[in-house]
Amino acid sequence: MAKQVMIVDDALFMRSMLRDIFEAAGWQVVAEAENGQQAVELFAQHQPDLVTMDIVMPEMSGLDAMQKILSDYPEAKVVMCSALGQESMVMEAIKAGAKDFIVKPFQDEQVIDVVDRVCAA
Amino acid sequence: MDIEKYRKMFLSEAGEHLEKMAEQLVAVEADPQNSDGIDALFREAHSIKGMAATMGYDATARVSHRLEDELQNCREQGEVDSEMIDRLLTGVDLLESLLEDISEGRAERSVDDFINGVMLVEELEPIPEEDSCDLAGEGVLVRLRLADSVAAPGPRLLVLLTRMAEFGTVLEAKPSEEQLLQGEISRILLVRLATEASQEEIRQRLQCYRELNAIEFPVAVLEKDQQRKVSRKSGTTVRVDTDLLDRFINLTGELLTNRYQLQSAAGERNWREMNEGLSQLARLVKNLHHQVLQVRMMPLESITGRLPRAVRDLCRSSGKEVEFSVEGASIELDRAILEELADPLTHMIRNAIDHGIEQTGSVQIKSWRERDQVLIQVADDGRGIDPEKVRKRAIERNLISPAQAQVMRDYDVLQLICQPGFSTAEQVTETSGRGVGMDVVKTSVEKLGGVLLIDSTPGEGTRISLKLPLSVAIIRVLMIECAGCLLGIPITRVLQTVEISPKEVQTSGKQLVISLHGELLPLLSLRKILRQPKGPASNLLSLVVTEVFGRKVGLVIDRLVGQQEVFVQPLPSPFDRLRGNSGGAILGDGRILFLIDLQSMLEKRRTKGS
Repeated sequence: MAKQVMIVDDALFMRSMLRDIFEAAGWQVVAEAENGQQAVELFAQHQPDLVTMDIVMPEMSGLDAMQKILSDYPEAKVVMCSALGQESMVMEAIKAGAKDFIVKPFQDEQVIDVVDRVCAA
Repeated sequence: MDIEKYRKMFLSEAGEHLEKMAEQLVAVEADPQNSDGIDALFREAHSIKGMAATMGYDATARVSHRLEDELQNCREQGEVDSEMIDRLLTGVDLLESLLEDISEGRAERSVDDFINGVMLVEELEPIPEEDSCDLAGEGVLVRLRLADSVAAPGPRLLVLLTRMAEFGTVLEAKPSEEQLLQGEISRILLVRLATEASQEEIRQRLQCYRELNAIEFPVAVLEKDQQRKVSRKSGTTVRVDTDLLDRFINLTGELLTNRYQLQSAAGERNWREMNEGLSQLARLVKNLHHQVLQVRMMPLESITGRLPRAVRDLCRSSGKEVEFSVEGASIELDRAILEELADPLTHMIRNAIDHGIEQTGSVQIKSWRERDQVLIQVADDGRGIDPEKVRKRAIERNLISPAQAQVMRDYDVLQLICQPGFSTAEQVTETSGRGVGMDVVKTSVEKLGGVLLIDSTPGEGTRISLKLPLSVAIIRVLMIECAGCLLGIPITRVLQTVEISPKEVQTSGKQLVISLHGELLPLLSLRKILRQPKGPASNLLSLVVTEVFGRKVGLVIDRLVGQQEVFVQPLPSPFDRLRGNSGGAILGDGRILFLIDLQSMLEKRRTKGS
């Protein structure tokens, strides 16, 4: 069965790019969220194998959303998406329970490498 | 790519290229328009650059790239000026240090000064190992190195650190989680783990991190020296000619056939067939032994290659002009011997230039084979050694008595230079004469089962000859019997064996001596040295004439048994601490033959006595 992923990003461009990457690699994108609040709700609904989480978003930040998700579902696997220069936020997220991270701009293989190993762990 | 797997290969190959560069540089310095030499230098630099870049050793790649560029300029100009030679030599030295960093598992040192054209005058101090203080302690040490292309090293190391915690308990990390969170930037993470997981498991589970350049498990050894020794030993690789491998395969095949032949002969109780099979086996084993030794053989060149450079440097610092040549560099010796010989050889060359050559002269290394021994001669045409001065000094230092000095031949007097504590250099010079003298050289040579002899004529020069076995593992020994024990003495240490009548024994003071070829030879009883009861009186005394502390002595034994080639193995701990014993060998009939080293045996007695 294909692995299920939820993509969280406020930019449609980023979401569709990620969707293409995931689908090309045989993943099923079960949900897309454009802010933290939506992410929390959609996670409860789909409980995907993995979440890619943008950090800077309106409504609720990626960091807060992840913490909310983890408090309800401690086994959730969240991979942070960050731009260069957000190292400290990424580290905070990792400390709070994010499994890994990808740095924008990213290449297809890098994304799949990271999510594959997070799911394998 | 599993970098670790290729690292050793890289180190050995890059080392060879560097050595060739050093050699070529000296040749090009002598002939600055030697375009073949410049081309060769360019190719060597180019090869190193390619390998280093592939391995991700950036600093090494940058330096070799820079050398390549500069050599390209030289190629276009058609010559290399002396300033450029210095610059290139600095680069080669730097590359050597970088290889050392890589081999010891350290981060490569900074090369910016070199790249920016700053001349590095002093020899580069090795940078302190970033984790040296952390090496000792409990748990498994894991060192992770990020590739330079990793965009956010801080968060990446944090992920890895978190991941490491899944293997067990992180006892210590450098940088630590706090340091990372505070923004400390590093591309290396050193973690001490309390874990059940094996190195292989850890390695395998980290393999999916393509961001990692290397996963290493540094060894914690308390004694630094020991660590260095171990890493150097384990780091040695051998490249074997495929022809040789083919011969191994063929031999193995023949051995298999031979086994079936013997099996069937035994089944049929066919003794004639059995005998034939056994003589066949003997031939095959001898052949195999010969071929295996071949693998361990390396040309003398592998250690003399660096010497022209050393001579050049010495000439520069001392202002002397020395013509240096090596003859017989292709003579092959066991690699273990060569490794031990490298430093003594350099030391002898230094001595020759420092104390021998006055202003201009020549230093020559000559090597040739004599049956199962290799002779290496270091000769200079300098001022030579005055035996009278040596006599005087030896008396002053209480090495010999004035009476002994009178009867000793000049040749024997010269050998005293190798006694510990003897040095004729009136003043301490920069190069030699810093406490390390010929005694160290001689000890190294003797440890290898070799002999060192000095010959000199005042005003004409000095010649030091080394006689070495071809291989350390398999040597020819003289088997002797003493108090019911079978003992072996390496044949290289035996000058002569004689049987004499007890009537020939004389006394000189308290010492028993005999006169052999017009020379008085002190006698030592092996039974006495081994604290065995006196043997029964006999009408024939067996003597082994050998050399101890630079002097000929006659060792009285019970019986000479014979000679044999044996495979010497070091004794296991704690027996390896027994002084006077240099290993053991299992004989064909299952008996153990202990090898004795008379000198260290007597050293023990000496220290006990004092």
